Amino acid sequence: MDANTFDMDLLQTLGPELTVFVGLLLIMIIPNLGNGKFRIPGTQIELPWFLGGTRYKAVSSPRLPGLLAVLTMSLALIQVLWYLLETNADGSRANAVANVISSENGYEIFSVNLFSRIFEAIFFAALLLAALASLDRLPTGSVKSNDIDVLFNNRRQADFYILMLTSALGMSVVALAQDMFVLFIGLELASFSTYVLVAFHKETRAGSEGGAKYFIVGSVASAVGLYGLSMLYLWAGSLQFDVLAAKWATDGASSLSMMALGFVLVGFAFKISAAPFHFAAPDAYSGANSPVAGVLATASKAMGMLGLMRVLLLITVPDSAAEDESAVWIGLLGVMAAVTMTWGNIAALGSENPKRMLAYSSVAHAGYMLAALTAIGAWNWGLVDTGGDAKDIVVAALLFHMFVLVFFKLGAFLVLGLLEMEGGASRLSSLSGLGKREPLLAVAMFLFMISLAGVPPMAGFLSKLLVIMGIVEVATGSGSLDSLMDAHWVWWLALLMVLNSAISMFYYLRVGVVMYFHEPEEGREGPLASGVSIRLAIAVCAIGTVAFGLVGGELIELCRDATQYLG
Amino acid sequence: MGTTTDIPEITSSFTEYAIFIVLLPMLAFPVILFLGRLFNGNETWVKSAKEGGLIALPIMVASFILSLILIVEFIGSGTGSHHIGDWLSFGWIGADGMTIEEKVFGVGIYIDHVTVMLLFVASFLCMLINIFSIGYMNTDPINDNRNHRFYAEFVLFCSGMLGMVLADSFLWLFIFWELMGLCSYLLIGFYYERPSAAYAAKKAFLTTRVGDVFLVIGLVMLWNMFGSLDYSVVFNPDNIAAVDSGELQMALGMMFIGAVGKSAQFPLHVWLPDAMEGPTPVSALIHAATMVNAGLYLVARMFPFFGAPSMAGELVDLAFIIAAIGGITAVMAAAIAFVQDDLKKVLAYSTMSQLAYIFTGLGAALWLANTPGMEEYAIIAFGAALFHLFNHAMAKGMLFMASGSVIHEMHHAHHDLHHHDDHGDDHGEDHHDDHHDEFDAQSMSNMGGLASKMPITATAMLVGSASIMGLPLIGGFWSKEGIIANTWRVAREEPLFWFPAFCVLLGAAMTGFYMSRMWLKTFAGKPKTEVAENVHENTPWIPIPLVTLTFVSLSSVILAGMMFTHWSSDSGYAFFSDKGLADGLIYEFEHIFLNSDAFFFVLTYVVIFIGAIVGPGLAMALYGGALKEGEKAKGWMQPIINLSARVNEKRGFDNSAWADSGLSVALKERLYFDKWYDTAMLKLVAGFAVLSATFDRKVIDGTIKTIERSSQKISLSVRKLTTGSARDYIMMAALGVLVIYAMLEVMI
Repeated sequence: MDANTFDMDLLQTLGPELTVFVGLLLIMIIPNLGNGKFRIPGTQIELPWFLGGTRYKAVSSPRLPGLLAVLTMSLALIQVLWYLLETNADGSRANAVANVISSENGYEIFSVNLFSRIFEAIFFAALLLAALASLDRLPTGSVKSNDIDVLFNNRRQADFYILMLTSALGMSVVALAQDMFVLFIGLELASFSTYVLVAFHKETRAGSEGGAKYFIVGSVASAVGLYGLSMLYLWAGSLQFDVLAAKWATDGASSLSMMALGFVLVGFAFKISAAPFHFAAPDAYSGANSPVAGVLATASKAMGMLGLMRVLLLITVPDSAAEDESAVWIGLLGVMAAVTMTWGNIAALGSENPKRMLAYSSVAHAGYMLAALTAIGAWNWGLVDTGGDAKDIVVAALLFHMFVLVFFKLGAFLVLGLLEMEGGASRLSSLSGLGKREPLLAVAMFLFMISLAGVPPMAGFLSKLLVIMGIVEVATGSGSLDSLMDAHWVWWLALLMVLNSAISMFYYLRVGVVMYFHEPEEGREGPLASGVSIRLAIAVCAIGTVAFGLVGGELIELCRDATQYLG
Repeated sequence: MGTTTDIPEITSSFTEYAIFIVLLPMLAFPVILFLGRLFNGNETWVKSAKEGGLIALPIMVASFILSLILIVEFIGSGTGSHHIGDWLSFGWIGADGMTIEEKVFGVGIYIDHVTVMLLFVASFLCMLINIFSIGYMNTDPINDNRNHRFYAEFVLFCSGMLGMVLADSFLWLFIFWELMGLCSYLLIGFYYERPSAAYAAKKAFLTTRVGDVFLVIGLVMLWNMFGSLDYSVVFNPDNIAAVDSGELQMALGMMFIGAVGKSAQFPLHVWLPDAMEGPTPVSALIHAATMVNAGLYLVARMFPFFGAPSMAGELVDLAFIIAAIGGITAVMAAAIAFVQDDLKKVLAYSTMSQLAYIFTGLGAALWLANTPGMEEYAIIAFGAALFHLFNHAMAKGMLFMASGSVIHEMHHAHHDLHHHDDHGDDHGEDHHDDHHDEFDAQSMSNMGGLASKMPITATAMLVGSASIMGLPLIGGFWSKEGIIANTWRVAREEPLFWFPAFCVLLGAAMTGFYMSRMWLKTFAGKPKTEVAENVHENTPWIPIPLVTLTFVSLSSVILAGMMFTHWSSDSGYAFFSDKGLADGLIYEFEHIFLNSDAFFFVLTYVVIFIGAIVGPGLAMALYGGALKEGEKAKGWMQPIINLSARVNEKRGFDNSAWADSGLSVALKERLYFDKWYDTAMLKLVAGFAVLSATFDRKVIDGTIKTIERSSQKISLSVRKLTTGSARDYIMMAALGVLVIYAMLEVMI
C-alpha cells in the first residue's frame, strides 16, 4: 500500500494510531477554546477565532483532558482488540495477512500485523489504565496542601495527558516500524514523553531529580544506540529491516556490523533497564508518580523488548556461514540476562521503598525476558538441534508474559498510587496494616505480589512457566539427552530463573507480611482516600491477573499465531 | 486412559436440578452465618427465625423434596445406574506447553440404588434433626446468641454428606468427605469453652485424619492404575481387567482404612464416644444421618471391583479383613456399652457395634461377590447390609433425639428445681458449668421411671431399641437377620469366616442386653433423683421427629415386603417388579421363619432366642422394676415394665462380683485404648515433635536466618552501587558499553 494516498484504506489500516493522533489534537485544542478574537491589523474588525481569551466554562473543567485521554485510549484499544480478535465465519483469524505500508520508492515504513498489534494492545492497555488511574491521582478538587495547587489548572492537566498520548503514539510507531530509523524516531518520541512525565511533579524534589537522571542516562544510551545505527547504515547502506536481513544473510557478520548491533543493543537495554544500564530506573520509578512508574515498567519495557526482538530476530536471521561469529551475540545476551536478573533480585531483597523494590523487580523481569531472548537466539542461529517450533513457543511465551505483566506490575504500582494520595508510599511501612484498613485492596496487592513471584494460579505463574518450559525445550531439544551436560547452555539460564524466582519470593511475600501482620502507621489507620477510577483500574488489573492465569488459553493461542509475523 | 462405561443419562427435567440438593444447603451456610452476625441478639431473629433454624429448615425440606423427586424419577426410570453429565470442566496446559487439555476433573452426579438409598436416609434425617434442633438448641440458655453458628455448620455438614453421596467420582467423594470432617470438628467442639469439648473435637478430627491419610494414599494408587477417579472409568469391567489385582487390593485396603476412621471401627474408634461432647442434635447427625455412614458408603462403593469377573477370587483377603474388623468391633463396642452410665455413651457404643454389623455384612457380601458362583447370594448379603444401614440410621437417629429429649427435660427440671434456692441470679456459661459439676443430666443413675412422664420419648426409645436389638418384625430385625445368615453362609464355605460369624452372633445377644439395660434404667423402675420426678415433656418441636421416626421404624416390615434388600443392591431389580407387597411379605416371612435349609432355619431361631430373649431377660433381671406407686405408663409400655419388675423379683441376682471385676474396670476404661494411644502419642510423637522442633529452630531456621542476613548484606552492597548521582550512572553505562565492545572485539 502506498503511503502517499490518504484514502480510506490507509485510514482503516492505521485506525488506532490515527485515533490517538486525533485525540492528541483535541486535547491540545479543546481546553483552549474561548472567546478569543483576532483583530485584522489596521482595522477595528475583530474576527472570532475561538482560541484563547476568556475560556468557555464547559472546556475549562480540570477533568476534561483526562477524560478525553481515557476516551481516546479506549477507542484505540478497542480497535486494536477488534483487529486481534476478529474472526472469519469459519473461525480463522480475519486479519491473517500483514498490511505493509511503503513509500513511493518502495521503502517499507509500517507493517500492520498480529505481532505489532499485540504490542500495541500492551502499550494502549497500560496507558489506558494509567490514564484512568491518574484521573484521581492528579488532584482536581480542593486539596489543602499548597504545593500541588498548581495542578488544579486544567492546562497543567492537559500537558500531562498530552504527554501520555504522545508516548502512546511513539510506542505504536515502534510497534509498526519496518525501518530502524522509523523505529528510532518512535522510540525517542515515546522516551521524551516519559522523561517529562517522570519529572512532571516538578514541585517535589524526588520527581525532578529522578526525571533529570532518567533523561541524562537515557540520552547517553540513545546516543550510543544512534551511533550503532549509523554504523549499521554505513555497513548496509540502508536501515530497512529486509535490506539489513538480506545483507546479513549474504555477507554474514562483519566486525562493523557486529559492533553496530552491540551499540544498538545498549540503546534498547536502557529501555528495558537491563544491567548495567538500569541505574536510573529506581530513581525514576520512585520519583515519578505511581501510574507513570507503572507505565515505565510495563509499556516502556515492552517497547524496548520489541526493539531487541526486531534487531536480533528479524535482522540476524540464521546463516550457516555466520554461525560461529554470531554466537558471540548469544553469549553476550546470556551474560546480560544472568547479571540482570540476579542483580535485580538481590538489590530488591533489601529495598525498604516499595517503589524501588518494584523497580528492581522490574529489572529482574527484564533479565527473565533477556533469558528467553537468548534461547530464541540460540535456536535461531542453529546452535541447538531442535526440530519443530521450540522458538515459536518461547516467542509466544514472551509475548504472553509482557501482556499479563501489564496487569500485575501496573496494578501493584496503582495500589501504591492510592497510598500516595494519602501522603506517600516511599516506605514499606506505608503498606502496614493495609489488610485491616482496606481488605479488598490488600487482597488485590497480595494477588499482584504472588503473581509477580509466580505462584499458581496467577497469570504470572503461567507466563513464567511458559518461558521456562520454552527455554528448557529449546535447550534440551526433542531428542533425549544422556546428561545435562549435553544440553545447550541456555538451560542454565532457565535454572537461574528458577533460583531467582525463589529469591524473589522473599521480598514479594514480605509485602504480604507487612500488609497483614503489621499495625498501621500512626495517623494512617482509617480507609484510604476514595478514588473511583483508580480503584476501577486496580480492579481491572486484579481480575486480569487471576483470569489470565486460569483461562489464558485464548491469549496464548493469539500470541502463538502472532509469532509467524516475526521475520 | 481407559474407556468409559456407557452409563445412560437421565433426561428428565427434574434430575437436572439434582445438584441443588447439595447446593442449597451449601449456599445457606454463608447466608445463615452472615445474617446471624448481622442480627445477633435481635428479637425477631431469635423469636421468628429461631436464630437461623427456620432458615435452615426450608432449605433442608427443599433438599429432601428434591431428593424424593430424584428417587421417584429413578424408580420410574427402571434399573441400572445413571450419570448426569459434567456441569463444569477445567482445562490445563498440555505437556507441550501450548495446547489446552480438556477436562481433568468435572462435576457431575452419579445415581444408582446405593446412592438413592443413602440420599433418602441423609436428606430425611437431616430434615428431622433440623426440626429437633429448633426445639433443643434454641431453649438451651448456654447457646445464647450463637445458634446461627450451629445452623450454619449444620447445613454445611448436610451438604457435605449429600454431596458425597451424589458425587460421580472418588475425588469429589473425598472432597465432600473432608468437608464433613471439618464440620464434625466444628460441631463436636461447639461448646468450645469447655475443655472436654475442645479436646473431643480435636480427637475426632485427628483420629479420622489418620484414616484419611490412608484414604488419600488409596485414591492416589487408584488414580495411578486407572488414570481417573471417575466411577464411569474405574467401575468399567474392561478397565478393571487391565489392572493388577494385588495392587488393586492394596489400594482398596488403604481406602478401607479411611472408612474405618470415619465409621469409628477398631482400632480407630476412640473418637466416637468423645464426640458426645457436641450438642445432642450433632450426635444424632453424626451417628445416624451422615458421618459414620460415609465410611460404609465408601466400602459399599467398592462393590463393582469385587464383582468384576477379572477379579474373581483375587480380593477375598480384603473382604475377610473387612468382615473381621466388623466382628471385632461389634463385640468390643457392645461389651463396653455394658458398663456405660452415660445415656449418650451407651448409644455411641451401640452405634459403633451396629456399624460393625454392617461392615461384617459388607465383608461377607464382598466375599460372595468375589467368589464365582456365589453372585446371587452376594446381592442378598449386600442388600441386607444396606438395609441394616437404613434401619440403623432411622432407629439411631430416633434414639439420639429421644435421648436428647430426656437430657433436655432433665436439664430443665433441674433448672426449675434449683432456680429458686442457690442459682437464682447467675446466668450464662458459669451457670451451665455449675450444673454440670454437681448434676449430670446424662447419667442414667439420675433417671429412672420416666416412662410415665415422657410417653412420646419413651415410646420412641422403645421402638428404636427394639429395632437395634432386632426384635422380630421390628426394624432392624429384617436386616440383622440377613447379615448374620449371610456371614454364616460364607463361614460354611470359608473357615476363616467362623470368626466374624461367631462375633455377630455373640453381638446379637449383647445388643439385646445393653439396649434393654439402657431403656430399663432410664424409663422403668422408680425415679432415682428428685429431678427425675419432675421431668415432663414440654418442648413443641422435639416430638415431631420422634413420632415420625417411630412410624418409619415400625413400617420397616413393609419395606422388607417390598423386597428392599434386593432392590437396594441389585441394579437389575426394579422396585415391585417381581412381586406385589403381599407376595413379597409372604416370601420374606417364608424365607426367614421357614427356611428350607435346615442350617438357616436353626440359625434364625437361635438369633431370635439370644437376641430377643436371653439378652433382654438378663437386663430385666438386673435392672427391671415397677414404676412408682400411682404412675402408669401407656398401654404398650406398661406390660413391658410389669414384666421387667416380675423378672427382677423372681430371677434377680447379684452381679456385684462382675461389676467389680477387672474386666468391668477395663471396660469402663474403654479397654485402655485411649490410654495406650495417649501414651504412644506422648512418648513417640511428642518426643519426635520436640526433636524436630529443636532441629527446625536450630538448624533450619539458623541456616535460613544466616542466608537472610548475608543476602541482606549483599543486597546492601549492590544497592550501594546506585549512588544517586547521574555521573556514576553514566560511568556504569559506559563501562557496560566497554564490556560489550571488548567481548565482541575479543570473540569475533
